This record gives sequence, C-alpha cells and structure tokens, in this order.
Amino acid sequence: MAEKIAFTINGQPRSVEVEPDMMLIDVIRDVLDLTGTKHGCDNATCGTCMVILNGRAVKSCNTVITKAAGAEITTVEGLAKGMELHPVQTAIAESGAVQCGFCTPGIVIELVAMLDSKPNASEQELANALNKHLCRCTGYEPIRDGALIAQKVVQERATAKA
Amino acid sequence: MEYKYVGKSYIRPDAISKVTGKAVYLDDIRLPGMLHAAVLRPQYAHAKILSIDTSEAEKCPGVVKVVTGKGCKFHYGDNIRDLVPMADEKVHYIGEPVAAVVADTPKHAKDALSKIQVSYDPLPVYIDARQAMSEDAVIIHEDMDQYWTLPTLKVVPGTNIANVYQVRKGRAADGFDEAEVVLEGEFNYPFGSCAAIEPHGSIVWFKEDKTIEVWSSSICPFIVRDDLANSYGVPASDVRVHIPDIGGCFGYKSDITVEQTIAWIASFVPGRPVKWVSSREEDFTSTLIGHGIRTQMKIGAKRDGKLVALQVKVLHSSGAYADTGVNVTMAATHNSTGPYEFDHCELTGYTVYTNTTPVGAFRGYGHQEVHLAIERMMDMLARKLKMDPFALRSKNYLHEGSVNALGEHMWKFNGDVAAAASRVQEVVFGHDKPKEDDTYFYGRGFAAVMKSPKGAPFSTKGCYMKMNTDGSVNINMGGAEVGQGLRTVVRQIAAEALKIAPEKVRVYTELDTQFSPYEWQTIGSMFTMQGGRAIVRAADKMIAVLKNTAAQVLKTDADYLEYDGEYVYLKADPYIKVAVTELARGYITEDGITIGDLAQAVSDARLPRYAAPDKNGQGPLGVTYTFGAQGAEIRIEKKTGKILVDHFASVFDVGQVINPLQIRGSVLGGVNIGIGAALYEEVIFDENGKITNPQYFQYHVPTYKEMPKQTIEFLETPDPIGAFGARGIGEHSVVGPAPAILNAIYDATGVDFCEIPVTPEKMKKALEALKEYA
Ligand code: FES
Ligand code: FES
Repeated sequence: MAEKIAFTINGQPRSVEVEPDMMLIDVIRDVLDLTGTKHGCDNATCGTCMVILNGRAVKSCNTVITKAAGAEITTVEGLAKGMELHPVQTAIAESGAVQCGFCTPGIVIELVAMLDSKPNASEQELANALNKHLCRCTGYEPIRDGALIAQKVVQERATAKA
Repeated sequence: MEYKYVGKSYIRPDAISKVTGKAVYLDDIRLPGMLHAAVLRPQYAHAKILSIDTSEAEKCPGVVKVVTGKGCKFHYGDNIRDLVPMADEKVHYIGEPVAAVVADTPKHAKDALSKIQVSYDPLPVYIDARQAMSEDAVIIHEDMDQYWTLPTLKVVPGTNIANVYQVRKGRAADGFDEAEVVLEGEFNYPFGSCAAIEPHGSIVWFKEDKTIEVWSSSICPFIVRDDLANSYGVPASDVRVHIPDIGGCFGYKSDITVEQTIAWIASFVPGRPVKWVSSREEDFTSTLIGHGIRTQMKIGAKRDGKLVALQVKVLHSSGAYADTGVNVTMAATHNSTGPYEFDHCELTGYTVYTNTTPVGAFRGYGHQEVHLAIERMMDMLARKLKMDPFALRSKNYLHEGSVNALGEHMWKFNGDVAAAASRVQEVVFGHDKPKEDDTYFYGRGFAAVMKSPKGAPFSTKGCYMKMNTDGSVNINMGGAEVGQGLRTVVRQIAAEALKIAPEKVRVYTELDTQFSPYEWQTIGSMFTMQGGRAIVRAADKMIAVLKNTAAQVLKTDADYLEYDGEYVYLKADPYIKVAVTELARGYITEDGITIGDLAQAVSDARLPRYAAPDKNGQGPLGVTYTFGAQGAEIRIEKKTGKILVDHFASVFDVGQVINPLQIRGSVLGGVNIGIGAALYEEVIFDENGKITNPQYFQYHVPTYKEMPKQTIEFLETPDPIGAFGARGIGEHSVVGPAPAILNAIYDATGVDFCEIPVTPEKMKKALEALKEYA
C-alpha cells in the first residue's frame, strides 16, 4: 500500500508517495532522481550508499523509508553551496582519493558526518569510519590523506569562527 | 627529462564531478519510456534445458515481455565465436542467462522471475581444467569444431580444449640435458573477481528507424558496436554505443560481456529502451571472472646459477566460454619466463572449457598467475643452488642484448629490471628484520616483474583535436576512463605537445561511437603509450595546419616558421609573427577573405611491427615491455595465522612519469588488488559449480585497515614509442605481490605455499603441521 512520507532533503521539504517496504536509497535515486548516492552491493557491505540522516551517516540501502519520516537528510548533492565545495569535497578531489569515483560519494558523506560531529576525531576514529567503505581503486592511502587535509581545514575554520 | 607539464601533478578533470555526485554512471541514466530487465540463471552449472514455461510470469504485474533463448541463431565472439546471448538447449555454467523478464520497474521484473518454470537434465560438472581434460569427460561444447575462430587458434576437437598455444625457443630437451640442476613446481592462481564497486550494466534500445542505441559500463564501445551490427545485420554506423563514467574496471568490463544478452532481451520490445544493472551477486556469477590458472613449471640451470631451460604448462580453467579467456592463456604462457632469459623454452598453454563463469581480463592479464610460479621458483632454485636469490636473479635478467621467449631482442630502452631490483632490495632488505617474538613471525620477500602489453595487430588508438579561436583545444579520444586517470594524461600530453597550459585543454567526458575516434579497447596498460603517441601526432599535424596558414599570412614558407603555443613566427626574425588565435579558424585578411584551414587534426597510433606469431609462437607479440620489482615485509600472527603486510615496495621503469600523484595512486591500488589475491580473495565454486561466496561480505576485498605502508618509486629510461618516453603502468603493480608475499612467508616460517590465497586458516594449519613435524 502506497503511503505518503515527508522529510527534508538537502534543505528542501519533500513529501513523496512510497511503498512502505522501499529502502531509502530507492526513494533517493528513483523517486527524487538524486543519483549521486550509489548502489554497490546487495547486503550493506560497500558503503557507497551513505547519506546523512539526522546528523548520522547511514547506509541508505538498508534503511527502510519509514525511518525517514520527518527526518533531515543530506545526500552528496547537498554538500556544496553553489559553486563552493565542502572542504571534504575539495580535499578528496585534490589528494588523489578519486579514481573511478564510485566509492567517492559515500566516503565524502562519511567524512562530512564525522567531522561535523567530531572535528577532532582521532586517526583511529577516522579509520573506523573509513573501514566501512570499500574502494577497489585507490589502495585507501589517498583517502586517508584527503581525510586528514579536510580535518585540518574544518578545524581551522572552527577556530577562525570562534 | 624536464618537461613543462609532463611529470607534474594536476588534479583530474573529472574529480569535481565525482566528489559532487554529478558524474553519470550507467545506472544513473534514465531514458523516456525505459523498461527494466531481470535475468533468470539456472540451478545447474551444466544441464540440458528440457522445457521453459513462461506463462505464469507473463501474468505478473508490470510485466511487458518474457524472453528465452529459443530461436537464437547466432554465436558471437572476437576470438572464438562460442558465445550466445541466452542459453537455448543447454546451460554451461551457473551464471548463464536462461530467460529474462522485461517490466515497468526493476522490482516487477525481479518478482516475476520466480514464476518461470524450467526443467533441466543435469550433466556432469567440471570446475577445473584437469577434470575437463580427463579422457572420459563429457564435451561441454559439442559443436566447437564449427565455431569460427581467429586463424591462429588451435581447437582440439573431441575434447574440452578450446585452444593450445605453443612457444618454442631453442630445444628444451637439449637445454635440460645441458642443465646441472632441475627444479619442478606447480602453482595455482585461483578464480578471482575484479569486483569493481560499480557493477556491470547496460541499456539497449532497438529503435523503429532500425538503428540500435546502447549505453554500457564497458571499455570497448567499438567492439560492442561491431558485434551487435554483425549479429543483427545492420551497418555498424547504425549502432551507436555510449560509454558513461565507469566505476572501476580492472579488466572485466573489457571485451563484450553483458551487452549481447541485454540486446537480445531488448530486441523483443522494439521501440523501448531496456535497462539492466547487475546485482552484486550477478556481477560475480554472470559477468567475467579472472585467473583460474595452474602453472606447472620445470627449470633447468647450471650450478653457477645460469638458467638454461624452461618448460611450462599453463592449465587454464577458462570457463564455459573461451572467447575472452584464450588470450589470457596466451599472455600467461609467453610471459611465464618472468624477466629472465632462457636459451631453451617450451611453453604450452591450454585454454580449457569448464562449467564455471567465463574467465576474461583481470588487471595483469595472465602475468600475475605465472609470476607466482617463476618468482617462487627463483627463490626455491636459489635455495637448491645454495645461492643468494638476488645473485641468481641478476645473473639471468633480460637486459640489452638478450632475447626473450618470443625471439624479441631486448634493448636498453626496454627498461632496467636490475636497477629496479636493487632499489627494492635496498628499501626492503637494507635493514635488519625484526626478530621472531611471542606473537609474530617476521619475513621479507621479493619478486621481479615483467609486463608485456596485450594488443592485436589492428589495435589502434585515435585522436580528434581541434583548436578554438581563443587558443583553447578540445580533444576526443576513444579511451575509456575507468578511474585510471587517462583524461589527465591526455590533458598533460596534449599541453606539452601543443605548448599550452593544461587548463586550456578540455578532454571528452563520455565515449560515443558517433563522435569518438576509433579505439579497439582500452586495455593492456597501453593508453598512455599508444594514446599518447596519437596525441603527439595530432598535435604535430595541427601545428602544421597553423604554420601553413601562417605562411600565407606572413608571406613565407612554412618550414621557416616556428610555433610556441601563442604565436607562429619567423625563426629568422621572431618579430614577424601571427597569433594562433587569429589562425585557428583560418586567417581573415584585411579585405575580409579567409585563407588557410581550420586548425584541427585526426591521428592514430598502434604498436609498430606487432604481428601474428609463427607456428613456434615466435614473433613480436610483446613489442614493448615494462620491468620492475616488488618486495614485501610481513608479520604472521602465531595464534591466528593472520598475515599482515607492514610494508610493500614497488619500483618500475616506466620510461617517463606523466603525473606523479596519479601514478602513485595507480600503483597503490594495484598493490592492494595483488595483496587481496595473495591473502584473501577467491571465487569459490562447489563441486556442483555453484559460487559459494558471491557477495562482498563473503569475498574479502582488502579494506582500509589492511592497507600497508607503501614505498613507490620509478625509474625513467625513456621509451621510443610512447609520448615523451612514457610506458604503461596500469596493470604492473598487481603482478608481484603474490610471489613476494609467499616468498616472505617462507622467509618467516619456512613454509612453502604454492597457491593462494594464503588465508589465516591455511597459514595456521601449516604452522601446526610444522610444530608436529618439529
Ligand atoms: S549499497 Fe553497498 S552498503 Fe549500501
Ligand atoms: S575510486 Fe574507484 S572504488 Fe574508490
């Protein structure tokens, strides 16, 4: 039975008709046409589908849509402000962390959620977060480099503001 | 050499679209009226199809059409035409398409699949070449002697052997007579999956105007185009294939994989585009897998370590269709010497039909499989000869003046394996290794590496170049960007050749057979080399156009002129000049008449003298080589048998580094794939031919925490073919990890492994056996 669900996505209130057994990823990609969120596996193992749901990075492929009712969602499309990229995006682009780019949206989202809630996350915490993401191209080192650069920028901005 | 733009790091032109989620991959494409397909796979890996009943499925919600292979009259393939788009009378492996549902949504298509009733008569299943080669084996392709093949291939009718490939240099029998020490070994590099994070997918649209339009996650749009044109009897110009961004390839999106199946399905709903995106499971079971290569090796040497004879038998479990595997067998066979010279070689490769997913390219293309053999054998031989393994290797490296197994002469510009080896020796073995403690064994291992490209005599890469009136340049090429960064390489090479800033060069984003120049396929680590040469040629031609126009403007001869990116000027008096911006569209004279040509150029480049080999396999099949060396420092946890790679070093002689950031990235990722193969990854078939681990949580791809520290360096002995001296590097880094790590395991524990992956369970078992023995 189709039902209506309302949430805010990338700052915009939306109300969509969904089947209650749909996964968040299906709504994001197929109903809302936000194709930046990727689908890389069948069993919630690859991390490409991450979005930020109420401040936490979650796998949209195993989040049932009903959990999104009333939620605040950010996808990779919602990070840049016009032409201005989020520091995580800039750092990941410049550190060599992007090859094929298929894992990239998930990793960017993970790091944004992490650094928003914990700008001083330890390297171990960053590793724990990034270990949830598979990347077949980069050997991970440039992702770590990008994460550390992004963290520095985020911290500097926080001090500049304070 | 110092260049202005080549040899410097620039960020990729596609980086921003990828971090913003705007890059378009196959599954992101939506077309008006698009339908969705789901494909039924068999319960048996080898069986006759007795009947298929689709009537219930046809009644399911949203279903538009149910398709079977009945009535399909054509086979396809580039090397051996043994492939069919959908099984008709028989299934040959567990991932084969048996039927398909086309529906309004992917979910409706999938839901209806279970309503299709198929009855089978099962046949014996062979998952290994040795079983399929046994005398009483059932024949997997009964009519294989009727398949069209390349004239160089040799089918053995009445067996499951799809091809026998032989390389003969000297006389192996004499060589072994001459030898004072003989060593034999057998090594297995099991099936693996490229497991790119983006699964395969295709969209095919048979249009009412009799054209066919295709989008696919493929690196060979022109093969897909020509193949479909051939199968459906339309001119190649009427098939248009688009390639969007690709989320990783590593080999298995080369050749034709899923496109013919989706085309077959779409041909039943003309007028509507049909999309299919593989699940992760199907990506394992039903696209292409890699390796499946067992290498039996015998080496004869003199007591002083001089290698004299090599006998190799490559047994390749090539899967249910051999079209894509046969060249992997060949590459494995002729590269099985590793970077060493043998006067006598008898190398034989068997491509064998098995009831497993067809094997195709996997980054490294036959090289890592046989390097596991030769590089383990070199360590074992050194032990037998009581020689230092580095000394044994250096005595035998291919170098200027030596002749490889194919009879090709080696030149200085082929690169310096000895120098690469000694650098790895320094960084991995130049310090004491930690002493065994309560928790760990420590070990170090080494492997030298040789990589030859895989091409075809006609394999060429085209380039279209045009200059705009502001002096900026657009370039279209046929090279598929799978993440390897070829767009950056195009930009930098073009900038260097045209003497303009890279920012003024805009590189294509998608491939489209209507607009892109021809390229066979983007494989074999050849784009930088061949594509780079094509760019330089196009640039030279375009500069010549500018000079010809300028000669008319400046009223002189073109050969008196020089070009510097901004102006064309008289060499003898540089004050006499005209700006390229005034020449790009032809030059408009004072009276308004335009003279000269549009500044544009078309070019291509292939490998020089690449040719079909003679009956002994002799002939230039490699043409260009890249050498290198790799080494590993590992730790083995005693309690669990877990192997940790602490440090991995790679040194390759690449001729010329184009982009330091990107080349490091390429090697970092390749080493990770090699480590995955050595320690974790194997596509496992049970005795019934079912894959028991077709998911990421079962098939262990290396994760963030498993990355080792890496030392990566390059030597630059310039190459005469590649642009600015550059050779390929795409695949090379995956070749050495397995033998280097297995050599390190021996160094740590005294256990000789001859097959991978060395999982903790296997390691632990070996350690326990060692204890019992002691
Ligand atoms: S799609 Fe792989 S974790 Fe969600
Ligand atoms: S960049 Fe390709 S999977 Fe990470």
